[in-house]
Amino acid sequence: MKELLEKVVINYPYLAAGILFAIGVLTVLTRSNVFKKLIGINIMESCVFLLFVSAGNIKGGNVPILDTANPKPVYVNPLPSALMLTGIVVSVSVTAFALALIIRLYNSYGTTDLRRIGEMDYEVKKK
Amino acid sequence: MTAGLKTNLPVFIVVIPMFVAFMLPTFARRIKWIEGTVAAVKLLGLAAAAWLAHMVLYEKDFPVKYIMGGWPAPWGIELVIGNLAALFILTIAIVSLPVALFARDNLEKEVGPKQRIARFYVLYLLLIGALAGMAITNDLFNVFVLVEVVTLSCCGLVSSRKGHGAAKAAFNYLILATLGSALVLGGIGFIYILTGHLNMEFASAELGRVWQSSPHTVWMALSFLFVGFGVKAALFPLHVWLPDAHSMAPSPASALLSGLAIKGYIISFMKILYVIFGHTLMQEYGIYRILILIGMVAIIIGSLSALLQKRLKRRLAFSTVAQVGYLFLGLGLANKEGLMGTLLYLVSHAVIKSLLFLAAGAVISATGKENIRDLAGVGRKMPIAMGTFTIASLSLIGLPLLSGFIGKWHLVLGSLGAGDILSVTVIIIGSILCAAYLLPIIRIAYFEPAPEADWQDPGLPQKAALILLAAGVVLLGVLPGPFIELAGRAAAELLLIQ
Repeated sequence: MKELLEKVVINYPYLAAGILFAIGVLTVLTRSNVFKKLIGINIMESCVFLLFVSAGNIKGGNVPILDTANPKPVYVNPLPSALMLTGIVVSVSVTAFALALIIRLYNSYGTTDLRRIGEMDYEVKKK
Repeated sequence: MTAGLKTNLPVFIVVIPMFVAFMLPTFARRIKWIEGTVAAVKLLGLAAAAWLAHMVLYEKDFPVKYIMGGWPAPWGIELVIGNLAALFILTIAIVSLPVALFARDNLEKEVGPKQRIARFYVLYLLLIGALAGMAITNDLFNVFVLVEVVTLSCCGLVSSRKGHGAAKAAFNYLILATLGSALVLGGIGFIYILTGHLNMEFASAELGRVWQSSPHTVWMALSFLFVGFGVKAALFPLHVWLPDAHSMAPSPASALLSGLAIKGYIISFMKILYVIFGHTLMQEYGIYRILILIGMVAIIIGSLSALLQKRLKRRLAFSTVAQVGYLFLGLGLANKEGLMGTLLYLVSHAVIKSLLFLAAGAVISATGKENIRDLAGVGRKMPIAMGTFTIASLSLIGLPLLSGFIGKWHLVLGSLGAGDILSVTVIIIGSILCAAYLLPIIRIAYFEPAPEADWQDPGLPQKAALILLAAGVVLLGVLPGPFIELAGRAAAELLLIQ
């Protein structure tokens, strides 16, 4: 038990990423407001970024710039951070596109609640 | 010159559509120019795909590894041009050319004014380029980026339809698809944490060494990737976004989404499963059984839900859910015939389903009616649209001499090879259900009296597109030689059989 706890404490960024991921997924699946859904998506994506970046980090590691005069013993892995830059770009474009769709939804339905929108569609269909 | 063209061909197939896509909005006012450019790009793409397939089939030194930017693996991005890539790129070219032809002069009703049509073509070309990229890339992070490009362009294509229903469908699709991509990225992250590699082959070799010391992380990676790709490929319990998105999109876009986009995800998932995890790990973790089980459930439930739909495009969309079940079933059979079945069924379903959606789109836009009940007698007034629809339906059911039969035949052979009688039964029941939901449409269209209405076949480019795709359906059934050869070699490669 103690061993397990120690492992969790050492790897606390992973734990944080896991908890945040669960929060994000729950928000996306249970909230009917489009903005809350979008925020959930963003939380979820950020925690995947956290997972990657913390995987590349080493405690006490140095900036990964090679200095041949006095080489450092430990360098941080720069690749995950570089990958996550791409990930952030993707996430921003998804958010922008979703906001554009929300504007269209609001213009045609007058609400940002997906449950209300569903009800309105159902009433139209019944007529 | 020719040698340089030949070595760089795979990159051109991916980059040229993307490059042209971003040039199109500069002459958005001249729709004729845009349509001409897109047609030219697609013709070039078809020629390039045919050349690539020919090289892969008849030259000795394939599969070839292409190193991007001169950085060798594992540092740089590697592209693998093998049988699987050639097969999928050929499929993309075969399907996307008629779709572009069908969209000609036909988008104003569904999409709107010129500016919007220009954007439609931008998304169309981005989708094609990214799908080709998914087929050839050998790098995990590259897979994620291409998955995102495909997802965003698909959502854009859905939302390009006029009216508020499309915006709602696109929003729901976007949310669920982004959930899927976050899961895919998480899965890729776990693989990277375990192995330290993003190149698929290096990751696979490293995973073979380390998986026993951290079995739970492998579980996490597998389940994240399974659910992520499952959402994107509309695997049964995760398919909720599909019927709305595919039935709301403009007809050419529906054809692309149902025919090609889903297949791209399945090809990527197949590569990740078989190249990275490999046979031993998949057997150890029992993935095969899960794949077969979910595939069977998807076939039955998808077909039954299709049977209950009253609107034409929704019925076709639910039919896609059922056919995705066949593809996953074949992935789980774990023998050469089963994988060949998946690949061949993937190719034939791409052609068939795009033809079905295009013909349905032509019928709906001519009659203005979406319910199947209201389409009485449409077959005699629109012989070409309904005739090609009939050919595609018969092929999807799996009649011999049409393309759907070959895929199903190999799936049955694979199930028999795996000793799985239950899945043989499910495949046959699926075919019967498929007949049960497609044949009534044909019966109503041909054998019921037509109302007095001026329904006519669509214009010349649309007719040509439908006939081209129908010819493809028949040709794939009569002369499947090169496709079977490519699929067989790709399956052997994935299973590491010499």
